[in-house]
Amino acid sequence: MRKSQQQSIPNPGPESQPGQTPASTGTTPTKAERRHKRTIIMARILLLLLLGIGFLLSMLPWGRAIARATFLLPALVTATEPLPLIVGGETIQHSQMTVPSRSGTVYLDIYAPSTPAPLVASARSGVLIIPGAGDNRQVPQLINLSQALARSGLVVMDMVTPTLINYDLSAQDSDAVVQAFQTLRHLPGMTGKRAGIISFSAGVPLASFAGADPRIRDEVAYITVFGGYFNTRSLLRAFGRHALDVNGTVEPWQPAEVPIQVMTNVITKAFTSDERSEIERALAPGSKALTTSEQARLSPAALAAYQLLTGSAPNKVEANINALPAPIQEQLELLSPSRVIAQIRAPIFLLHDRHDPSIPFTESRDFAAALARLHHPYDYVEFQIFDHVEVKSNIPVGQLIGDGAHLFSILQQILFLGA
Amino acid sequence: MLILTLIWLLLGAAIGLLANVAQLRPRNWQHLGWLAMVGLGMVTALCGGWLGVLLFGRLFSTATALWIGCLGVMLPSLLNRMAMWRSTTSISIPIHFPEPLIRRSPGTVLPHADKQK
Repeated sequence: MRKSQQQSIPNPGPESQPGQTPASTGTTPTKAERRHKRTIIMARILLLLLLGIGFLLSMLPWGRAIARATFLLPALVTATEPLPLIVGGETIQHSQMTVPSRSGTVYLDIYAPSTPAPLVASARSGVLIIPGAGDNRQVPQLINLSQALARSGLVVMDMVTPTLINYDLSAQDSDAVVQAFQTLRHLPGMTGKRAGIISFSAGVPLASFAGADPRIRDEVAYITVFGGYFNTRSLLRAFGRHALDVNGTVEPWQPAEVPIQVMTNVITKAFTSDERSEIERALAPGSKALTTSEQARLSPAALAAYQLLTGSAPNKVEANINALPAPIQEQLELLSPSRVIAQIRAPIFLLHDRHDPSIPFTESRDFAAALARLHHPYDYVEFQIFDHVEVKSNIPVGQLIGDGAHLFSILQQILFLGA
Repeated sequence: MLILTLIWLLLGAAIGLLANVAQLRPRNWQHLGWLAMVGLGMVTALCGGWLGVLLFGRLFSTATALWIGCLGVMLPSLLNRMAMWRSTTSISIPIHFPEPLIRRSPGTVLPHADKQK
C-alpha cells in the first residue's frame, strides 16, 4: 500500500525514474519538468558512456592499444613529450649495456618504466628500435620516441652496431639484431611478454634479416619499416638515374648526402684504397666532382660506381651496375630485404614519406607489392609530414590531421600486436 | 603519483556530482545525500585508480578509475532497484493470521490447556 503511494508522488525525487514524472501520472508536464527529465536522462547516458569508455580503454587489449596510441601520437607529431603523457604515464629510467655479436659489440640504450611490471601481462611489451646509419643515440627525436614509448609502459631498446656507426651496412649485423632482441626478451619484467622491432632507414634490412632468422622469427610480434629500402639494386638505380619511376612516369629525385655516403661505403669495398679515397673525396659535401682526366685514371668498376653515386651517367645505369665487381654484386644481393621476406612470419608495417630525399618511397611501394603477392599480413602508409624519418616543423594543420590519423591507425595496430 | 591521486579524486567528485544530477541517489540518503554520492565517487575512483596501477600500469589507471568510479556511484541505485525488483517478482502467498482472541501474557494459562496435555 505504501509503495503505490510513493509511486504516485508527482515531484521526482532522488532515484526517481525519468518516466515517473507527471506525464506518467496523467497530468501534462510543464516545459521546466520536461527539461529536468531530459537533464536526468542525459546525465545517466553520460555516466554509462564514461563507464563504457573507461572499461574499454583499460580492460581490453585493443582498448589499451587505442589509449596508448592516443597518448603517443602527440609525442610523435610534435617531437616533444606532452604533459598528459608525463603526468599520466610511467616514470622511466635509462640504462646502457653492450652485448657481443658475430659482427662486434652491440650498443644498447634501454628506456624502461621504473615501476614493477603490472599484473596483467599484456599491459607491458617490448620494442627494439634500429635507428639507421650513424650513431643516432643522441638524436633528440629518437630519445623523444624512446621515452614516450617507455612512458606508455613499453620497454624500449635502441641498438647500434660499429658498422652502422661507420655509416656502413653489413648483412652480418643481423646477428647483432638477434642478440639485442633476445637480450630485450630477457630483461627484468619482460618474461613472457611480446616484443616487436621498429626500424628506420638503413636499419630496415637488418630488421628484415632478423625477422627471418629462425632463432627469433616466431617471437617477433611485428616489424615496422620506416623509410627503408626493399632492393639494393633498385635503390642504386634510383641513385644513378636521379629519378624515380612512379606508376610509369619518371619523377626527378635528388638523393641526400647520408645515403650517398652509406652507399659509397657499401659499393666501394672491393676497390683499391686510392680509388676509394678519391671517390669519397669527390662525393664529400662541398667538394668538386672528378675531372675527366681524374675519371680516366679510375678502373672501369670504380668509374661505374662513381657514375652511379653521382648520377652523372643516367643513361648507363644498368651497364654501370653490371660493371661492379662480383663481390659487390653479391653484397647488393645480400643486403636486399627482398631476399628474405618469404621467411618473415611477423606482420610488417611499412611507412614512408612521399618526398623522402634519402630513400625513394617507391622502395616501400615495391616492398608492399611483394608482401601482397605473398599474402603476408602488412599495412603501408605514405606520409607528407616527415623529412626522411624525422617529423618536419611547421606542418600545415590539414596535412597533420590526415597523416596523424594514418599514424594513429598504424600505432594502434602495432601496440595491439605488441600486447 | 600524488598528481594522479588528485586527478582520480577530482574525477570521482565529478562523477559523484553527475550521479546526483542523474538522480541515482537512493531515497533513504536524504540528509547530505548528495555529498555522500560525491564522496562515494571519490572513494571508488581512488580505489579504481590504484587497482588500475596494479593491474595495467599508470597509463591505464585513470581509465580504470573512471569506470570503477562510475560503477561505484551507480551501485547503490542498482542494488536498490534489484532489491525492489526481487520484492516485486518474488512469489509470496498472503497468509492472514486472525487476531488472537485472547492476548497471551506471561503467566496466562490458555483455556483447555489441560485438555491438550
